[in-house]
Amino acid sequence: MRLAALRNMTIALPEEAPPACIEVRDLGVRFGALSVIEKLSFVIRQHEFVSLLGPSGCGKSTLLRAVSGLIAATEGEVLIGGETLGKQAPSLRLGMMFQKPLLLPWRTTLENIVLPVEIELGGQTVSHNDLARARRLLSLVRLDGFEDAYPQQLSGGMQQRVALARALMADPDVLLLDEPFGALDEMTREALNEELLQVWRSADTRLKTIVMVTHSIQEAVSMSDRIFVFAARPARLLEALEVSLPHPRAPESVEFARCLGRVRRLVREQA
Amino acid sequence: MKSAIYIPMAFFTSALLLMEVLVRALDVPAYLLPPPSAIFAAFDLSLLRNLAVTLTEAFIGFALAGCAAFILALLFVRSPTLERGLFPIAITLKTTPLVAIAPLLVLWLGTGWMSKIMAAALISFFPVLVNTVKGLKAADAEYFELFRTLRASAWQEFAKLRIPYCLPYLASALKISSSLAIVGAIVGEFVGATQGLGYLIMVSSAHLETAVLFSAIFAAAAAGILLFNLLGWAERRLIFWQRFDAE
Repeated sequence: MRLAALRNMTIALPEEAPPACIEVRDLGVRFGALSVIEKLSFVIRQHEFVSLLGPSGCGKSTLLRAVSGLIAATEGEVLIGGETLGKQAPSLRLGMMFQKPLLLPWRTTLENIVLPVEIELGGQTVSHNDLARARRLLSLVRLDGFEDAYPQQLSGGMQQRVALARALMADPDVLLLDEPFGALDEMTREALNEELLQVWRSADTRLKTIVMVTHSIQEAVSMSDRIFVFAARPARLLEALEVSLPHPRAPESVEFARCLGRVRRLVREQA
Repeated sequence: MKSAIYIPMAFFTSALLLMEVLVRALDVPAYLLPPPSAIFAAFDLSLLRNLAVTLTEAFIGFALAGCAAFILALLFVRSPTLERGLFPIAITLKTTPLVAIAPLLVLWLGTGWMSKIMAAALISFFPVLVNTVKGLKAADAEYFELFRTLRASAWQEFAKLRIPYCLPYLASALKISSSLAIVGAIVGEFVGATQGLGYLIMVSSAHLETAVLFSAIFAAAAAGILLFNLLGWAERRLIFWQRFDAE
Protein backbone atom coordinates (compact mmCIF):
# COMPACT_ATOMS: atom_id res chain seq x y z
CA MET A 1 0.00 0.00 0.00
CA ARG A 2 2.74 2.43 1.07
CA LEU A 3 4.85 1.47 -1.90
CA ALA A 4 1.97 2.08 -4.23
CA ALA A 5 1.48 5.57 -2.84
CA LEU A 6 5.14 6.32 -3.37
CA ARG A 7 5.04 5.20 -6.98
CA ASN A 8 1.91 7.24 -7.47
CA MET A 9 3.71 10.42 -6.40
CA THR A 10 6.60 9.97 -8.78
CA ILE A 11 4.23 9.41 -11.65
CA ALA A 12 2.11 12.46 -10.91
CA LEU A 13 5.08 14.79 -11.41
CA PRO A 14 6.56 14.43 -14.87
CA GLU A 15 9.38 16.86 -15.73
CA GLU A 16 7.55 19.09 -18.19
CA ALA A 17 3.97 18.77 -17.09
CA PRO A 18 1.32 20.19 -19.42
CA PRO A 19 -1.26 22.40 -17.67
CA ALA A 20 -3.76 20.71 -15.39
CA CYS A 21 -7.10 20.07 -16.98
CA ILE A 22 -9.06 18.45 -14.18
CA GLU A 23 -8.14 18.91 -10.56
CA VAL A 24 -10.01 17.11 -7.84
CA ARG A 25 -9.24 18.37 -4.34
CA ASP A 26 -10.40 16.51 -1.24
CA LEU A 27 -13.61 15.63 -3.03
CA GLY A 28 -16.37 14.13 -0.96
CA VAL A 29 -19.80 13.09 -2.23
CA ARG A 30 -22.49 11.66 -0.02
CA PHE A 31 -26.10 10.75 -0.70
CA GLY A 32 -27.77 11.15 2.67
CA ALA A 33 -25.95 8.83 5.07
CA LEU A 34 -24.18 7.01 2.26
CA SER A 35 -20.68 8.25 1.58
CA VAL A 36 -19.77 7.40 -2.01
CA ILE A 37 -16.56 9.39 -2.35
CA GLU A 38 -14.29 10.52 0.48
CA LYS A 39 -11.24 12.78 0.48
CA LEU A 40 -10.33 12.07 -3.11
CA SER A 41 -7.60 14.10 -4.82
CA PHE A 42 -5.92 13.81 -8.20
CA VAL A 43 -4.82 15.85 -11.19
CA ILE A 44 -5.45 15.03 -14.83
CA ARG A 45 -3.35 17.02 -17.29
CA GLN A 46 -4.16 18.16 -20.78
CA HIS A 47 -3.60 15.64 -23.57
CA GLU A 48 -4.04 12.79 -21.12
CA PHE A 49 -6.24 9.76 -21.60
CA VAL A 50 -7.17 8.45 -18.16
CA SER A 51 -9.24 5.37 -17.40
CA LEU A 52 -11.07 4.94 -14.14
CA LEU A 53 -11.08 1.27 -13.22
CA GLY A 54 -12.70 -0.40 -10.27
CA PRO A 55 -15.36 -2.84 -9.10
CA SER A 56 -18.95 -1.96 -9.92
CA GLY A 57 -20.58 0.30 -7.40
CA CYS A 58 -17.26 1.75 -6.31
CA GLY A 59 -18.32 5.28 -7.19
CA LYS A 60 -16.56 5.72 -10.54
CA SER A 61 -19.71 6.91 -12.26
CA THR A 62 -20.47 9.22 -9.37
CA LEU A 63 -16.97 10.65 -9.66
CA LEU A 64 -17.48 11.27 -13.37
CA ARG A 65 -20.77 13.00 -12.65
CA ALA A 66 -19.13 15.16 -10.00
CA VAL A 67 -16.44 16.16 -12.51
CA SER A 68 -19.07 16.98 -15.14
CA GLY A 69 -21.04 19.07 -12.66
CA LEU A 70 -24.12 16.83 -12.74
CA ILE A 71 -23.65 16.10 -9.05
CA ALA A 72 -22.54 18.76 -6.58
CA ALA A 73 -19.56 18.02 -4.36
CA THR A 74 -20.49 17.63 -0.70
CA GLU A 75 -16.92 18.47 0.31
CA GLY A 76 -13.86 19.70 -1.50
CA GLU A 77 -13.91 20.98 -5.03
CA VAL A 78 -13.44 20.15 -8.67
CA LEU A 79 -11.45 22.50 -10.90
CA ILE A 80 -11.78 22.43 -14.64
CA GLY A 81 -8.98 24.32 -16.35
CA GLY A 82 -8.25 26.04 -13.04
CA GLU A 83 -11.84 27.22 -12.49
CA THR A 84 -13.90 25.85 -9.63
CA LEU A 85 -16.95 24.02 -10.87
CA GLY A 86 -20.07 25.84 -9.76
CA LYS A 87 -23.02 27.60 -11.29
CA GLN A 88 -20.90 29.17 -14.02
CA ALA A 89 -19.93 27.04 -16.98
CA PRO A 90 -16.14 26.56 -17.07
CA SER A 91 -14.35 28.02 -20.09
CA LEU A 92 -13.06 24.59 -20.98
CA ARG A 93 -15.90 22.74 -22.62
CA LEU A 94 -17.01 19.39 -21.22
CA GLY A 95 -18.64 16.66 -23.26
CA MET A 96 -20.20 13.57 -21.82
CA MET A 97 -21.04 10.19 -23.24
CA PHE A 98 -23.12 7.62 -21.42
CA GLN A 99 -23.39 3.85 -21.46
CA LYS A 100 -26.65 4.09 -23.38
CA PRO A 101 -26.57 5.98 -26.68
CA LEU A 102 -29.50 8.18 -25.54
CA LEU A 103 -30.46 9.15 -29.07
CA LEU A 104 -33.81 10.83 -29.64
CA PRO A 105 -35.91 8.34 -31.63
CA TRP A 106 -37.81 11.03 -33.54
CA ARG A 107 -34.62 12.51 -34.94
CA THR A 108 -32.50 11.24 -37.80
CA THR A 109 -28.81 10.55 -37.28
CA LEU A 110 -27.84 14.01 -38.51
CA GLU A 111 -30.54 15.73 -36.44
CA ASN A 112 -29.33 13.85 -33.37
CA ILE A 113 -25.76 14.94 -33.97
CA VAL A 114 -26.61 18.64 -34.27
CA LEU A 115 -28.62 18.62 -31.02
CA PRO A 116 -25.85 20.24 -28.91
CA VAL A 117 -25.48 23.10 -31.38
CA GLU A 118 -29.24 23.54 -31.58
CA ILE A 119 -29.44 23.82 -27.81
CA GLU A 120 -26.56 26.25 -27.66
CA LEU A 121 -28.10 28.47 -30.33
CA GLY A 122 -31.46 28.68 -28.57
CA GLY A 123 -34.05 29.65 -31.17
CA GLN A 124 -31.71 30.24 -34.11
CA THR A 125 -31.53 27.77 -36.96
CA VAL A 126 -28.43 25.62 -37.31
CA SER A 127 -26.02 27.12 -39.85
CA HIS A 128 -24.68 25.42 -42.99
CA ASN A 129 -21.23 25.40 -41.41
CA ASP A 130 -22.50 23.45 -38.44
CA LEU A 131 -24.35 21.02 -40.68
CA ALA A 132 -21.19 20.51 -42.70
CA ARG A 133 -19.28 19.87 -39.49
CA ALA A 134 -21.93 17.37 -38.38
CA ARG A 135 -21.48 15.53 -41.70
CA ARG A 136 -17.70 15.48 -41.21
CA LEU A 137 -18.16 14.00 -37.75
CA LEU A 138 -20.53 11.47 -39.26
CA SER A 139 -17.81 10.23 -41.58
CA LEU A 140 -15.25 10.44 -38.77
CA VAL A 141 -17.29 7.80 -36.94
CA ARG A 142 -17.75 5.90 -40.23
CA LEU A 143 -21.46 6.39 -40.69
CA ASP A 144 -21.45 7.86 -44.19
CA GLY A 145 -24.77 7.27 -45.87
CA PHE A 146 -26.69 6.93 -42.61
CA GLU A 147 -27.44 10.59 -41.99
CA ASP A 148 -31.17 10.19 -42.65
CA ALA A 149 -31.57 6.89 -40.79
CA TYR A 150 -33.47 6.82 -37.52
CA PRO A 151 -31.74 5.43 -34.40
CA GLN A 152 -33.96 2.34 -34.29
CA GLN A 153 -32.73 1.39 -37.75
CA LEU A 154 -29.12 1.33 -36.55
CA SER A 155 -27.28 -1.39 -34.64
CA GLY A 156 -26.15 -0.82 -31.06
CA GLY A 157 -22.59 -0.07 -32.16
CA MET A 158 -23.76 2.40 -34.79
CA GLN A 159 -26.00 4.13 -32.25
CA GLN A 160 -23.05 4.54 -29.92
CA ARG A 161 -21.04 6.00 -32.80
CA VAL A 162 -23.78 8.56 -33.35
CA ALA A 163 -23.63 9.36 -29.63
CA LEU A 164 -19.86 9.88 -29.95
CA ALA A 165 -20.34 12.19 -32.92
CA ARG A 166 -22.97 14.12 -30.97
CA ALA A 167 -20.60 14.48 -28.00
CA LEU A 168 -17.92 15.78 -30.38
CA MET A 169 -20.39 18.20 -32.01
CA ALA A 170 -20.34 20.25 -28.81
CA ASP A 171 -16.62 20.65 -29.54
CA PRO A 172 -15.47 19.65 -26.07
CA ASP A 173 -11.96 20.11 -24.69
CA VAL A 174 -12.63 17.32 -22.25
CA LEU A 175 -14.61 14.19 -22.98
CA LEU A 176 -16.04 12.25 -20.05
CA LEU A 177 -17.09 8.72 -20.93
CA ASP A 178 -19.18 6.56 -18.62
CA GLU A 179 -18.60 2.99 -19.78
CA PRO A 180 -19.36 4.14 -23.31
CA PHE A 181 -18.99 0.77 -24.99
CA GLY A 182 -19.87 -1.46 -22.03
CA ALA A 183 -23.10 -2.72 -23.57
CA LEU A 184 -21.50 -3.72 -26.87
CA ASP A 185 -19.99 -6.98 -28.02
CA GLU A 186 -16.22 -7.45 -27.89
CA MET A 187 -15.58 -6.88 -31.60
CA THR A 188 -17.66 -3.74 -31.91
CA ARG A 189 -16.10 -2.47 -28.73
CA GLU A 190 -12.55 -2.87 -30.04
CA ALA A 191 -13.43 -1.16 -33.30
CA LEU A 192 -14.99 1.75 -31.43
CA ASN A 193 -12.02 2.00 -29.07
CA GLU A 194 -9.76 2.35 -32.07
CA GLU A 195 -11.98 5.07 -33.50
CA LEU A 196 -12.06 6.92 -30.23
CA LEU A 197 -8.25 6.97 -30.13
CA GLN A 198 -8.17 8.26 -33.70
CA VAL A 199 -10.65 11.02 -32.87
CA TRP A 200 -8.60 11.93 -29.81
CA ARG A 201 -5.41 12.25 -31.86
CA SER A 202 -7.03 13.87 -34.90
CA ALA A 203 -6.50 17.58 -35.39
CA ASP A 204 -10.12 18.10 -36.55
CA THR A 205 -11.39 18.46 -33.02
CA ARG A 206 -10.06 20.42 -30.11
CA LEU A 207 -10.51 17.44 -27.88
CA LYS A 208 -7.48 17.12 -25.63
CA THR A 209 -8.38 15.15 -22.57
CA ILE A 210 -10.40 11.97 -22.14
CA VAL A 211 -11.56 10.42 -18.90
CA MET A 212 -13.22 7.05 -19.29
CA VAL A 213 -14.94 4.87 -16.74
CA THR A 214 -14.56 1.21 -17.60
CA HIS A 215 -14.93 -2.30 -16.24
CA SER A 216 -12.58 -3.81 -18.73
CA ILE A 217 -8.92 -4.10 -17.76
CA GLN A 218 -8.02 -4.90 -21.36
CA GLU A 219 -9.76 -1.77 -22.57
CA ALA A 220 -8.08 0.39 -19.94
CA VAL A 221 -4.62 -0.93 -20.81
CA SER A 222 -5.05 -0.63 -24.55
CA MET A 223 -6.33 2.94 -24.43
CA SER A 224 -4.99 4.97 -21.53
CA ASP A 225 -1.93 6.95 -20.58
CA ARG A 226 -2.80 6.38 -16.98
CA ILE A 227 -5.14 4.02 -15.19
CA PHE A 228 -6.67 5.04 -11.89
CA VAL A 229 -7.52 1.92 -9.94
CA PHE A 230 -10.22 2.49 -7.34
CA ALA A 231 -11.19 0.59 -4.22
CA ALA A 232 -14.82 0.13 -3.32
CA ARG A 233 -17.03 2.48 -1.40
CA PRO A 234 -16.20 5.06 -0.36
CA ALA A 235 -14.13 5.44 -3.51
CA ARG A 236 -10.40 5.58 -2.79
CA LEU A 237 -7.67 5.89 -5.37
CA LEU A 238 -5.60 2.75 -4.90
CA GLU A 239 -3.04 3.55 -7.50
CA ALA A 240 -2.45 5.63 -10.60
CA LEU A 241 -0.61 3.38 -13.03
CA GLU A 242 1.25 4.79 -15.98
CA VAL A 243 0.99 2.87 -19.24
CA SER A 244 3.96 4.03 -21.29
CA LEU A 245 3.40 1.78 -24.29
CA PRO A 246 3.28 3.48 -27.69
CA HIS A 247 0.12 3.43 -29.81
CA PRO A 248 -1.09 1.34 -31.55
CA ARG A 249 -0.73 -1.16 -28.77
CA ALA A 250 -0.38 -4.80 -29.66
CA PRO A 251 -2.31 -6.93 -27.14
CA GLU A 252 -0.06 -9.91 -28.01
CA SER A 253 3.16 -8.09 -27.06
CA VAL A 254 5.06 -8.99 -23.89
CA GLU A 255 4.95 -5.43 -22.55
CA PHE A 256 1.20 -5.30 -22.97
CA ALA A 257 0.79 -8.62 -21.17
CA ARG A 258 3.06 -7.45 -18.35
CA CYS A 259 1.04 -4.27 -17.93
CA LEU A 260 -2.21 -6.19 -18.05
CA GLY A 261 -0.89 -8.51 -15.35
CA ARG A 262 0.07 -5.61 -13.13
CA VAL A 263 -3.37 -4.04 -13.32
CA ARG A 264 -5.08 -7.38 -12.86
CA ARG A 265 -3.06 -8.10 -9.70
CA LEU A 266 -3.97 -4.71 -8.29
CA VAL A 267 -7.64 -5.21 -8.98
CA ARG A 268 -7.55 -8.71 -7.50
CA GLU A 269 -5.74 -7.61 -4.35
CA GLN A 270 -8.60 -5.43 -3.24
CA ALA A 271 -11.35 -7.87 -4.20
CA MET B 1 -53.34 -7.06 -42.72
CA LYS B 2 -56.52 -7.35 -44.84
CA SER B 3 -57.62 -10.47 -42.96
CA ALA B 4 -57.69 -8.37 -39.80
CA ILE B 5 -60.69 -6.62 -41.32
CA TYR B 6 -62.31 -9.37 -43.39
CA ILE B 7 -62.42 -12.13 -40.79
CA PRO B 8 -64.25 -10.10 -38.09
CA MET B 9 -66.55 -8.74 -40.81
CA ALA B 10 -67.45 -12.28 -41.89
CA PHE B 11 -68.21 -13.30 -38.30
CA PHE B 12 -70.29 -10.19 -37.69
CA THR B 13 -72.34 -10.70 -40.86
CA SER B 14 -72.91 -14.37 -40.00
CA ALA B 15 -74.11 -13.38 -36.53
CA LEU B 16 -76.58 -10.88 -38.02
CA LEU B 17 -77.86 -13.50 -40.47
CA LEU B 18 -78.26 -16.05 -37.69
CA MET B 19 -80.11 -13.49 -35.58
CA GLU B 20 -82.43 -12.68 -38.51
CA VAL B 21 -83.28 -16.35 -39.01
CA LEU B 22 -83.74 -17.10 -35.31
CA VAL B 23 -85.89 -14.05 -34.60
CA ARG B 24 -88.19 -14.90 -37.50
CA ALA B 25 -88.27 -18.65 -36.79
CA LEU B 26 -89.02 -18.23 -33.08
CA ASP B 27 -91.44 -15.36 -33.71
CA VAL B 28 -89.83 -13.04 -31.14
CA PRO B 29 -91.99 -9.93 -30.60
CA ALA B 30 -90.49 -6.91 -32.41
CA TYR B 31 -90.59 -4.72 -29.27
CA LEU B 32 -88.23 -7.17 -27.53
CA LEU B 33 -85.81 -8.00 -30.31
CA PRO B 34 -86.41 -6.75 -33.85
CA PRO B 35 -84.78 -8.66 -36.72
CA PRO B 36 -81.64 -6.98 -38.12
CA SER B 37 -83.47 -6.13 -41.31
CA ALA B 38 -85.92 -3.99 -39.30
CA ILE B 39 -83.01 -2.33 -37.48
CA PHE B 40 -81.34 -1.41 -40.76
CA ALA B 41 -84.68 -0.13 -42.04
CA ALA B 42 -84.61 2.31 -39.10
CA PHE B 43 -81.35 3.85 -40.39
CA ASP B 44 -82.71 7.10 -41.76
CA LEU B 45 -81.86 10.75 -42.08
CA SER B 46 -83.07 11.62 -38.59
CA LEU B 47 -80.74 8.98 -37.12
CA LEU B 48 -77.89 10.51 -39.07
CA ARG B 49 -78.80 13.98 -37.83
CA ASN B 50 -78.92 12.80 -34.23
CA LEU B 51 -75.61 11.01 -34.71
CA ALA B 52 -74.08 14.21 -36.07
CA VAL B 53 -75.31 16.14 -33.03
CA THR B 54 -73.82 13.65 -30.54
CA LEU B 55 -70.57 13.39 -32.47
CA THR B 56 -70.18 17.16 -32.57
CA GLU B 57 -70.86 17.53 -28.83
CA ALA B 58 -68.50 14.69 -28.04
CA PHE B 59 -65.78 16.00 -30.29
CA ILE B 60 -65.88 19.59 -28.99
CA GLY B 61 -65.86 18.36 -25.38
CA PHE B 62 -63.05 15.96 -26.18
CA ALA B 63 -60.94 18.63 -27.90
CA LEU B 64 -61.43 21.13 -25.07
CA ALA B 65 -60.61 18.54 -22.42
CA GLY B 66 -57.59 17.35 -24.38
CA CYS B 67 -56.10 20.85 -24.64
CA ALA B 68 -56.90 21.76 -21.02
CA ALA B 69 -55.51 18.48 -19.68
CA PHE B 70 -52.33 18.85 -21.72
CA ILE B 71 -51.71 22.38 -20.47
CA LEU B 72 -52.45 21.38 -16.88
CA ALA B 73 -50.07 18.43 -17.22
CA LEU B 74 -47.30 20.78 -18.38
CA LEU B 75 -47.93 22.99 -15.34
CA PHE B 76 -47.94 19.96 -13.05
CA VAL B 77 -44.54 18.87 -14.29
CA ARG B 78 -43.18 22.41 -13.94
CA SER B 79 -44.57 22.83 -10.42
CA PRO B 80 -44.69 19.82 -8.10
CA THR B 81 -46.54 21.95 -5.54
CA LEU B 82 -49.35 22.52 -8.02
CA GLU B 83 -49.42 18.82 -8.80
CA ARG B 84 -49.59 17.83 -5.13
CA GLY B 85 -52.35 20.38 -4.54
CA LEU B 86 -54.56 19.73 -7.54
CA PHE B 87 -54.05 16.06 -8.29
CA PRO B 88 -56.24 14.81 -5.39
CA ILE B 89 -59.01 17.14 -6.56
CA ALA B 90 -58.72 15.77 -10.07
CA ILE B 91 -58.92 12.22 -8.71
CA THR B 92 -62.00 13.06 -6.64
CA LEU B 93 -63.63 14.49 -9.74
CA LYS B 94 -62.70 11.38 -11.64
CA THR B 95 -64.14 8.93 -9.13
CA THR B 96 -67.47 10.78 -8.96
CA PRO B 97 -69.70 9.07 -11.56
CA LEU B 98 -70.60 11.34 -14.44
CA VAL B 99 -74.24 10.18 -14.17
CA ALA B 100 -74.29 11.85 -10.75
CA ILE B 101 -72.93 15.13 -12.05
CA ALA B 102 -74.86 15.29 -15.34
CA PRO B 103 -78.13 16.60 -13.83
CA LEU B 104 -76.18 19.42 -12.23
CA LEU B 105 -74.61 20.29 -15.58
CA VAL B 106 -78.04 20.46 -17.22
CA LEU B 107 -79.32 22.57 -14.32
CA TRP B 108 -76.44 25.05 -14.75
CA LEU B 109 -75.95 25.04 -18.50
CA GLY B 110 -79.44 24.20 -19.77
CA THR B 111 -80.64 21.44 -22.05
CA GLY B 112 -78.70 22.77 -25.05
CA TRP B 113 -75.23 21.97 -26.36
CA MET B 114 -73.18 23.30 -23.48
CA SER B 115 -74.21 20.73 -20.87
CA LYS B 116 -73.34 17.84 -23.25
CA ILE B 117 -70.03 19.37 -24.24
CA MET B 118 -69.17 19.78 -20.57
CA ALA B 119 -70.20 16.20 -19.77
CA ALA B 120 -68.04 14.90 -22.63
CA ALA B 121 -65.16 17.13 -21.52
CA LEU B 122 -65.38 16.06 -17.88
CA ILE B 123 -65.22 12.38 -18.66
CA SER B 124 -62.40 12.64 -21.21
CA PHE B 125 -60.25 15.04 -19.20
CA PHE B 126 -58.77 12.68 -16.66
CA PRO B 127 -57.12 9.99 -18.82
CA VAL B 128 -55.35 12.69 -20.82
CA LEU B 129 -54.12 14.45 -17.68
CA VAL B 130 -52.77 11.31 -16.02
CA ASN B 131 -51.10 9.92 -19.12
CA THR B 132 -49.56 13.22 -20.16
CA VAL B 133 -48.05 13.77 -16.71
CA LYS B 134 -46.68 10.24 -16.85
CA GLY B 135 -45.34 10.71 -20.39
CA LEU B 136 -43.66 14.03 -19.61
CA LYS B 137 -41.67 12.32 -16.85
CA ALA B 138 -41.11 9.05 -18.68
CA ALA B 139 -37.70 9.65 -20.28
CA ASP B 140 -34.77 7.89 -18.59
CA ALA B 141 -32.94 9.93 -15.96
CA GLU B 142 -29.86 9.76 -18.22
CA TYR B 143 -31.69 11.69 -20.94
CA PHE B 144 -32.15 14.52 -18.47
CA GLU B 145 -28.47 14.27 -17.52
CA LEU B 146 -27.57 14.53 -21.19
CA PHE B 147 -29.66 17.68 -21.54
CA ARG B 148 -28.09 19.12 -18.39
CA THR B 149 -24.57 18.50 -19.66
CA LEU B 150 -25.60 20.28 -22.87
CA ARG B 151 -26.81 23.14 -20.66
CA ALA B 152 -30.34 23.09 -22.07
CA SER B 153 -32.89 25.50 -20.63
CA ALA B 154 -36.05 24.20 -18.99
CA TRP B 155 -37.97 25.28 -22.08
CA GLN B 156 -35.60 23.39 -24.39
CA GLU B 157 -35.91 20.33 -22.20
CA PHE B 158 -39.68 20.45 -22.69
CA ALA B 159 -39.61 21.23 -26.40
CA LYS B 160 -36.87 18.82 -27.44
CA LEU B 161 -37.22 16.01 -24.94
CA ARG B 162 -40.27 15.86 -22.67
CA ILE B 163 -43.02 16.74 -25.14
CA PRO B 164 -41.92 14.52 -28.05
CA TYR B 165 -41.25 11.73 -25.56
CA CYS B 166 -44.76 12.17 -24.17
CA LEU B 167 -46.58 11.98 -27.54
CA PRO B 168 -47.13 8.19 -27.57
CA TYR B 169 -48.58 8.45 -24.05
CA LEU B 170 -50.79 11.33 -25.14
CA ALA B 171 -51.98 9.41 -28.20
CA SER B 172 -53.11 6.36 -26.24
CA ALA B 173 -54.89 8.62 -23.74
CA LEU B 174 -56.68 10.44 -26.56
CA LYS B 175 -57.88 7.16 -28.00
CA ILE B 176 -59.36 6.13 -24.64
CA SER B 177 -60.88 9.57 -24.15
CA SER B 178 -62.48 9.69 -27.58
CA SER B 179 -64.71 6.72 -26.73
CA LEU B 180 -65.42 8.16 -23.30
CA ALA B 181 -66.42 11.52 -24.80
CA ILE B 182 -69.27 9.83 -26.69
CA VAL B 183 -70.41 8.19 -23.46
CA GLY B 184 -70.31 11.63 -21.81
CA ALA B 185 -72.36 13.30 -24.52
CA ILE B 186 -74.99 10.53 -24.45
CA VAL B 187 -75.24 10.65 -20.64
CA GLY B 188 -75.73 14.41 -20.92
CA GLU B 189 -78.49 13.84 -23.45
CA PHE B 190 -80.21 11.29 -21.19
CA VAL B 191 -80.70 13.93 -18.52
CA GLY B 192 -82.27 16.55 -20.73
CA ALA B 193 -82.06 17.14 -24.46
CA THR B 194 -84.14 17.68 -27.57
CA GLN B 195 -81.81 15.90 -30.00
CA GLY B 196 -78.87 13.52 -30.18
CA LEU B 197 -78.43 9.76 -29.86
CA GLY B 198 -79.09 9.82 -26.11
CA TYR B 199 -82.36 11.62 -26.70
CA LEU B 200 -83.29 9.15 -29.46
CA ILE B 201 -82.53 6.21 -27.17
CA MET B 202 -84.70 7.63 -24.36
CA VAL B 203 -87.65 8.45 -26.63
CA SER B 204 -87.59 5.23 -28.66
CA SER B 205 -87.37 3.06 -25.55
CA ALA B 206 -90.31 4.92 -24.00
CA HIS B 207 -92.35 4.31 -27.17
CA LEU B 208 -91.17 0.69 -27.47
CA GLU B 209 -89.72 1.49 -30.89
CA THR B 210 -87.04 -1.11 -30.32
CA ALA B 211 -85.76 -1.12 -33.91
CA VAL B 212 -85.02 2.63 -33.63
CA LEU B 213 -83.44 2.03 -30.22
CA PHE B 214 -81.14 -0.58 -31.73
CA SER B 215 -80.26 1.66 -34.65
CA ALA B 216 -79.24 4.37 -32.16
CA ILE B 217 -77.13 1.89 -30.20
CA PHE B 218 -75.38 0.78 -33.41
CA ALA B 219 -74.81 4.40 -34.38
CA ALA B 220 -73.27 5.16 -30.98
CA ALA B 221 -70.94 2.19 -31.32
CA ALA B 222 -70.03 3.20 -34.86
CA ALA B 223 -69.27 6.75 -33.69
CA GLY B 224 -66.91 5.42 -31.04
CA ILE B 225 -65.13 3.16 -33.50
CA LEU B 226 -64.88 5.99 -36.01
CA LEU B 227 -63.24 8.41 -33.55
CA PHE B 228 -60.93 5.72 -32.17
CA ASN B 229 -59.69 4.72 -35.61
CA LEU B 230 -59.34 8.29 -36.80
CA LEU B 231 -57.04 8.95 -33.85
CA GLY B 232 -55.20 5.69 -34.41
CA TRP B 233 -54.56 6.73 -38.00
CA ALA B 234 -53.29 10.17 -36.94
CA GLU B 235 -51.12 8.51 -34.30
CA ARG B 236 -49.44 6.22 -36.80
CA ARG B 237 -48.68 9.15 -39.10
CA LEU B 238 -47.43 11.59 -36.47
CA ILE B 239 -45.61 9.28 -34.09
CA PHE B 240 -43.73 7.49 -36.84
CA TRP B 241 -40.82 6.44 -34.65
CA GLN B 242 -43.00 4.00 -32.68
CA ARG B 243 -43.31 1.84 -35.77
CA PHE B 244 -39.64 0.95 -35.37
CA ASP B 245 -40.13 -0.45 -31.90
CA ALA B 246 -40.51 -4.11 -32.68
CA GLU B 247 -40.49 -5.09 -29.02
